[in-house]
Amino acid sequence: MTADDDDLERPRWKRWLLNRFVLTPLILLAIALAWDAYAAMNADGRIVGRVVDARGNPVEGAEVSLWIFNFTTFNEDKHVRSGPDGVFTITGNPSHHVQLMAQKPGLGASPRIPIRLYFRGQNVTLKNPLVLPGA
Amino acid sequence: MRRYPRWPIHFALIVTSFAMLVPFYWVFKTSISGENIFNYPPSIIPRDPHLFYYVDVWYAIPFARYFLNSVVVSVMTIVANIVFNAMAGYALTRRFRGKTFILLLFLSCMMVPFQATIIPAYLITGKLGLLDSYLGLALPQFSTIICIFVFKASFDAIPASLIDAAKVDGLSEWRIIWTIMMPLAKSAMATNVILSFIWSWNNFLWPLIMTRTPEMQTLPLGLSRFLSYQEDTTGALYAFCIMVLAPGILLFLLAQKEFIQGLTSGATKG
Amino acid sequence: MATPDVAAAAGRRAPFVARRSTRQAVLIWCFLAPSLLVFLLYRILPLVWNVVLSFEAWSPLKPAVFIGLDNYDEILSDEVFWQALWNTLYLVASAPVAIAIALALALLVDSDIRGRNVYRTLIFLSYPLMTVAVAIIWRWMFDERVGLFNYVARSLHLVDAPIPFLNSFTWALPSVIVANIWQMLGFYMIILLTGLQNIPGNLYEAAEIDGANAFRRFLRITLPLLRPSIFLCFVIGMLNSVTSFDLVYVMTGGGPGRATEILVTYIYKLGFVQTRFDYAAAVTVVFFVLLLVIAWAANRLSGGNAGAVEAD
Repeated sequence: MTADDDDLERPRWKRWLLNRFVLTPLILLAIALAWDAYAAMNADGRIVGRVVDARGNPVEGAEVSLWIFNFTTFNEDKHVRSGPDGVFTITGNPSHHVQLMAQKPGLGASPRIPIRLYFRGQNVTLKNPLVLPGA
Repeated sequence: MRRYPRWPIHFALIVTSFAMLVPFYWVFKTSISGENIFNYPPSIIPRDPHLFYYVDVWYAIPFARYFLNSVVVSVMTIVANIVFNAMAGYALTRRFRGKTFILLLFLSCMMVPFQATIIPAYLITGKLGLLDSYLGLALPQFSTIICIFVFKASFDAIPASLIDAAKVDGLSEWRIIWTIMMPLAKSAMATNVILSFIWSWNNFLWPLIMTRTPEMQTLPLGLSRFLSYQEDTTGALYAFCIMVLAPGILLFLLAQKEFIQGLTSGATKG
Repeated sequence: MATPDVAAAAGRRAPFVARRSTRQAVLIWCFLAPSLLVFLLYRILPLVWNVVLSFEAWSPLKPAVFIGLDNYDEILSDEVFWQALWNTLYLVASAPVAIAIALALALLVDSDIRGRNVYRTLIFLSYPLMTVAVAIIWRWMFDERVGLFNYVARSLHLVDAPIPFLNSFTWALPSVIVANIWQMLGFYMIILLTGLQNIPGNLYEAAEIDGANAFRRFLRITLPLLRPSIFLCFVIGMLNSVTSFDLVYVMTGGGPGRATEILVTYIYKLGFVQTRFDYAAAVTVVFFVLLLVIAWAANRLSGGNAGAVEAD
């Protein structure tokens, strides 16, 4: 079909492999498999984040709630408490679209942050901390 | 003919190409930013593009299942098309009694569009027990007249001396087709593959009529159902559109020459 | 030449004494058989069945009853049918518009400019797409609140209030037509382009030497030699308009009211939503006859004998 396809000097297997009709699906397949492998390895459903107050100090003992998206609404699912340095870890997140909110009596509640992932149960570490309005 | 200035032509063609591409761009833009669903005025460049609508689509609908169904039906169609059309095309290059009748029959079948046959086709498929099955989905598309004539034209161009030499060597007709004529009819085969793939991949009415369960639905059907469930309230619909259009566009860009050749040769051969 | 025994044996047609030409003929028919079977099953038999069914009253669980022309009587008084017929003819009448635009494009692309293949690809890109996706795209382009057309119209202050394209009785069908033209333009252009490229260049040169200007060259050389391609575009365009179920169904569903209902969507609804197979069969027969009439008219309009269909 094109010049290099008919170049009979190249070995036959090379011609068949480097044909654009074979190469493209193979590349796509390789990408799909690589992505699947990556997703399988990083799908523990672990979400790691930090809670801070309005001045930026870490907050210990804040209650962090996880909402899981279900067709049209979010359902409250898990709760954890933040540790001494304000870091909390949620495990077992089954979904790709969740919301997080932190609250502590006296410091108020942070806004609900939506988190969208690339695959279900992706392990992520949040870049921005959850900010409680109080200090 | 080379005396007039070129730039008006370029200008007109650029405007036209732009007009033809704007719908693509607009849909792509919405699929990655979800902006124009509710807000007005829409923006030209997407703000905060993200790929999460594609993730939503992947998990909201059984995209893999629809994709698999479409692929299975298309592969069945392509294979059957090549075999049946090549055989019929070869048969039409020989002289035999009743050839004119068969030719007229084929030409008149071309005038019967699929839409004029949907009700009996549904009843026939039901009687054959093939409703809601891959074979039933693919069967009406197993042979097309345009492709038969493409093969015929291609086979006609093969010199008779080659065939005679093969016959002298004792090859049967069946082997003649597959070992001698098909390798020389590569472009007819490419045309057939592409045309039958596109028709089968884009087929909407037939799966709409004859699939009974969601598991057997093909991509066009899945797309239309998504629209009716979710309306157009989410960028996910447009992400779905892009995911559905991508294979078609990719195949077209890979196989442009064969595609266009196939359409024009099939068309002009009547 | 053959003794009576051998002749009798040949007459009984035992395979190993059959004449070679018979064997060849059988083989040829065997080659034709699979395709013939498919066409028999899904083109010819349905056509006949439609005709038979149109003369009967039949609900799927009861036996069929011959009722003569009652279904056709009902068609004559069916408002929806006439609306659908009118809409279908309207759609068919839009094909020449698309072909004219495509002809202009083909002439432009065929001229001696760089990058013609790029333009050709860009314009043709819309044809191999899934019509369902195209319908969704255009449905949204015409949207009342956020569609592109309303945005442009309001930005340019052409209108004060947004136009509900797909919900208005006057704008719905033209919107569908625009979407259809967008999709088919590339296809017509390719066919016309091929036809243009088949016109030998020396004809133009000879005419130029004889003093014909560009317009006369177009009228006297290009158009007549393009007639087969134009005829082909007509036929394909007509077939496509008449059968554009996907586009209409997904874009408007036949609405608002019945403003975009075409014969195929009506047949579908009759058969598979209302389950009135017998009446739908009658409408299908009328639809098919209409198709033949339009094809014959296109043939006559483009000067007889189906363009360049080669008989062999």
